[in-house]
Amino acid sequence: MKQSYNLNINADATKNLSLLDSVKNKANRYLQQRSILQHLLRIVLYVILLTMAFIYLAPLLVMVMNSLKDVEEIRNGSLLALPQDPSLAAWSKAWGSACTGSTCEGIAPFFINSFKIVLPAVAISTILGALNGYVLSMWRFKGSDLFFGLLLFGCFIPFQVVLIPMAMTLGWLGLASSASGLILVHVIYGMAFTTLFFRNYYVGLPRELVSAAKIDGAGFFLIFWRIILPLSPPIIVVTVIWQFTQIWNDFLFGVVFSGADNLPVTVALNNLVNTSFGGKEYNVDMAAALLAALPTIVVYVFAGKYFVRGLSAGAVKGA
Amino acid sequence: MAALSIENVKKSYGSTQVLKGINIDIEKGEFLVLIGPSGCGKSTMMNSIAGLESITEGRILIGGEDVTHANPKDRDIAMVFQSYALYPNMTVRGNISFGLEVRKMPKPEREKQVQKVAQLLQIEHLLERKPAQLSGGQRQRVAMGRALAREPKIYLFDEPLSNLDAKLRVEMRAEIKKLHQRLGTTIVYVTHDQVEAMTLADRIAVMRDGLLQQLASPQEIYDRPANTFVAGFMGSPPMNFIDVTIDSSDSLTINAGQQQYQLPLPQGYDLSNYVGKSVILGIRPEMITEPVQHKAGLPEVAVLKLKTLLTEAMGADTMVLTQLGDKELNCRINPSHSVEINQHSEFMFDMSKAVFFDAQTEVLI
Repeated sequence: MKQSYNLNINADATKNLSLLDSVKNKANRYLQQRSILQHLLRIVLYVILLTMAFIYLAPLLVMVMNSLKDVEEIRNGSLLALPQDPSLAAWSKAWGSACTGSTCEGIAPFFINSFKIVLPAVAISTILGALNGYVLSMWRFKGSDLFFGLLLFGCFIPFQVVLIPMAMTLGWLGLASSASGLILVHVIYGMAFTTLFFRNYYVGLPRELVSAAKIDGAGFFLIFWRIILPLSPPIIVVTVIWQFTQIWNDFLFGVVFSGADNLPVTVALNNLVNTSFGGKEYNVDMAAALLAALPTIVVYVFAGKYFVRGLSAGAVKGA
Repeated sequence: MAALSIENVKKSYGSTQVLKGINIDIEKGEFLVLIGPSGCGKSTMMNSIAGLESITEGRILIGGEDVTHANPKDRDIAMVFQSYALYPNMTVRGNISFGLEVRKMPKPEREKQVQKVAQLLQIEHLLERKPAQLSGGQRQRVAMGRALAREPKIYLFDEPLSNLDAKLRVEMRAEIKKLHQRLGTTIVYVTHDQVEAMTLADRIAVMRDGLLQQLASPQEIYDRPANTFVAGFMGSPPMNFIDVTIDSSDSLTINAGQQQYQLPLPQGYDLSNYVGKSVILGIRPEMITEPVQHKAGLPEVAVLKLKTLLTEAMGADTMVLTQLGDKELNCRINPSHSVEINQHSEFMFDMSKAVFFDAQTEVLI
C-alpha cells in the first residue's frame, strides 16, 4: 500500500507539488481565521476576568479609601470619592485608642490575644493532623478507613451545633473562659481538616518508602521525622495557611469561649463597631477592620504561591 | 542449617487465601527465584519473609531462628524494591547509610562501608546527588547499594529490574549475577520474567494461586517441568502440548483430525502404564526443526510434513508456527532454511527431550 503511494508521488511530482501548495494555502487561511477567533475569545476572557476582579476588590478599595478620610468628609461627601486629604489618623485611633466596649485601648491588645490563641492552635492542630495523616495512610489498621470517614464528619459539622456540648466539656475540664480552652476548641475543630489534608497528601507518597525504612530498622517516629516530614513542606504550608485563616477569622468560638480577658481581635472589632459615642466613625471602623484582616492577607501574600503549589502537589520525583 | 526456612506458610485476606501452605528451604549462599503469573502470591510471600505482612499460619526461620512474629528490623534482611523506594530527601550517601545510622554504627565505620559499597557498584561519583537527579539504572544501583551496605543474612529482591529498559535490564541482570558470585550472598528474588529466573537462579520456585508448583534447578524446571502449567510458563515461546495416544513401548500416535502421525518415544521414558491411553505430549519448539543431516535416522527422531502458518525471524533463529490437525505448533528453525507460508514442509521432531503429562491431572509422568 505504502510503497505504491510513494511511487505515485515520484511519477507525477509537479502535479503533486501544486496540489501540495493548494493544500498549504487552505491550511494557512484556516489557521488565520482560527487565530483571529482565538484572539477575540482571549479578549472576552480578559474582560470577564477583569470585571470579576474589580467587583471582588471594590469593597476593599472603598474600605481603604474611607479609612484614609476623616469622619466629616465621609458624612458630607459620597462614600465612593477619593480622599481629599488622606491621613492615617483613623488607623492610629483604631489601633491604639478607639473604644471597644468599656475600654478605650484600640484593637492592639486584642491583636495580641488573637496571636496567643492562633499560634498554638495552628501549631498543635497541624502537628496532630500530620501524625493522624501519617497513621491513616502509612500505618493502616483494621477499621482505619472507617475511622477516617468518621473523622471527616468534623469538616461538615457547623460551629453552632457543637457550642453547648463544647461549653460543657470545657467546664468539666476547668478550661471555661480561658485562652487554653479556646485553643483546645480550635485544635479539635481544625483536626478534621488538617488530618484530611495530610492524609490525602501522604496517600500519594509511595508506601514502599515506609517499608524500606522499616527494613532499614527505623521505627514509627523516626520514619516520620526522617523520611515523611522532609517530604511534607508543601502540605504543611497549605495546612498552616488554612488553619491560620480559619482560626484568625473565627468569631463565634471566640465570643463564646474566650472569656473577657482573652477576646480575639474579631470580637473586639465587633465591639468597636458597636460602641459609639455620638456619631459613627466609619473611618475608624474601616481602619480597624483592615487591621484585623491584615495578618491573613500578609500570610497569603507571602505563602500564597506555596498554597497553590501545595494543593496540586503530591508526586515525589525519584522515590 | 538452612539460611531461610519457610514452613507451611499460609496467608489469607478475609476469605481469600493467597498462600496455601508453602514449604521452601534455602541454603546459605543460594540464589532462589520466586516466579509466577501476577496474583500467584509471590510478592505476598516476599513481604512475609521481610516481615512487612504477617502470615496466618506456619513458620518462617532465618538462620534457624524463628522470626515469624519478628519486626522487619529484627530479621537481618535487606530488600530491593521494584520502585527502588529511595528516600527522595536524602542524598545517595544518606540513602545508603541510613540503615547503618539507624543501627547505631559509628560514623567513621559508616563512611567506610558507604565507600566500599559505592566502589563495588561504581556509584562513587553519585554519592552527593539526590535520587531525582539519577537515571533509572543509577537508582537501581543505589537501591542495591542500600541493601548491600548492611550485609544482612538474606537479600530480598522484589522485581528489581522491571522498571528498566530492555538493554539496561540485561546489563543489570549480569551485574546481579556477578555480585552474587562474588559475595556469596543468600538471595530471594521475585520476578515474573522467566529469562531472569533461568539465568539468575540456583533454584527456581514456580508458584501459582498460592501453591508451589515446582522447586528445582532452572535446567530441571526446563527439562522436566512438574506439570503443564510450569511447562507452559517457563520458556518462550512456550512448550507445545499435543494430545497423543501411546501405542506401545516405543511409539505414539497423534490424532489430528482425519490424519494420524506416528512419533517415536524417548528412550528410557517409562510409559508402560499408559499404553493404549491418551496422554499429553510436551515438546519444546527448539526440538521441532528443519530436517538436519546429523540427526537423520536416529531412533528418537521423526520427520513430519506440516503446514506453515507464520514465520518470525528472530535473527539467531526463525520461529515457525505450523499446523498439526487443529493444533498450532511452535517450531524453531535455522534462519538459513526457508519455508513457504501456507505450504507443507518437512519438520524434524527430536523426541529425546519430550515429556509426557497425565491427561487428567496434567502432572508429569
